[in-house]
Amino acid sequence: MIVGLLMIAGGAAAGIFGSLLGLGGGILIVPLLTIGFGLDLRAAVGVSLVCVIMTSSAAAGVYLERHVANLRLGMTLELFTAIGALIGGSIAFLLDERLLSVLFAGLLLYVAFSMARARVTTPAPGATTDTAAAGEPVAAPDDAVQAATTDPGALAVGRREAILAELSGSDYVVRNLGRGIVGSTGAGVVSALLGIGGGIIKVPLMHLAMGVPLRTAAATSNLMIGITAAASAVIYLLRGEIDPYVAGPTAIGVFLGATIGSRIAPRVNVRWLQLAFIVVLGVTAVQMLARAI
Amino acid sequence: MTTREVRRRAFEARIGRWLILVTYLSVTLLLTGVVLMIATGISPLDGGPVLDPATLIAGLASLDPAAFLWIGLMAVIATPVTRVIAAAVGFARTGEWMLVAAALGILATIIASIASVALTGGLFDPGA
Repeated sequence: MIVGLLMIAGGAAAGIFGSLLGLGGGILIVPLLTIGFGLDLRAAVGVSLVCVIMTSSAAAGVYLERHVANLRLGMTLELFTAIGALIGGSIAFLLDERLLSVLFAGLLLYVAFSMARARVTTPAPGATTDTAAAGEPVAAPDDAVQAATTDPGALAVGRREAILAELSGSDYVVRNLGRGIVGSTGAGVVSALLGIGGGIIKVPLMHLAMGVPLRTAAATSNLMIGITAAASAVIYLLRGEIDPYVAGPTAIGVFLGATIGSRIAPRVNVRWLQLAFIVVLGVTAVQMLARAI
Repeated sequence: MTTREVRRRAFEARIGRWLILVTYLSVTLLLTGVVLMIATGISPLDGGPVLDPATLIAGLASLDPAAFLWIGLMAVIATPVTRVIAAAVGFARTGEWMLVAAALGILATIIASIASVALTGGLFDPGA
């Protein structure tokens, strides 16, 4: 009984941290289950994928209701994240667990470094963030379609522009679909190998490379995470790598934590939380490396 | 806002509500399983039973924690898949065939995931 309650509490802590810092819980659940409860890495990845799907489905539902997520762009890119997840989910069972631990430690260090760099370059709390920084003003989608269809010699280009316009929002135009496809496939592979949602790849990809405003990119990434994780979670489930007695308490904890986190977020000083989190990620990365050696 | 845009937004809102509904249903099933698990003194580290679809319904009737947990877990994994199916139907109604193709591609990939496990003999076989 104590272990079950500890697992719920651990999942809740992962959910709160993840929610406050804008990360999926996956990056915390895998170390929690491997280092904290002694699970095999692959078993922890399977449970983490279930938790990631649950939190992303709830959040994506709200984003769709509020028209923040771009369903068309999300569905186009998630075809490729799903293919990546199929590839990653298949090779995860061929790789040595120690190699997976090293990869996970590398991911933790990368996130810690990115967060530390953002702390240095981000203005003090209270300063507004220009969410359209990368999605700078561009022609409206209807203009793009019109421009593409008025030149008969540029039919191929026109077709591409028409697709991009169809995937664009009312106040921004999507660009670089090719880069988005390649990046999404890579995000799917990483998600399946390491049990994370892959938002740390998809959000910058959509925002910086494809010109999607940050808020929309984050919401659309959340939508895509469900399918990305489902494509590989099916593999873990059918291979018997998901233990219901571990997945149940952890998923309930993460769901409660994410719900609490979203409610207390406005009252929490995230900058200090980030600092603590960077330290936690660093220590966890060292422990994951120690497991690999 | 054009009529098409209004329809699109209503369609997305319906899908959003569906996702929320199924997520809460999954959480209810998992929570029931966890409560039963704790009440019967099962530790998460005891090692759960293998998934056996044939016994799940009977397990629900006998308040078997594992049955609630397995159905809850499968509902969680199926939630985004049902969203893709709903979206495919919606896009087909509005004649957005590129997006219908994307949705069918996603479903084909999920089926390929299942087939890849079945072909390697790992279906419902722990440690395969």
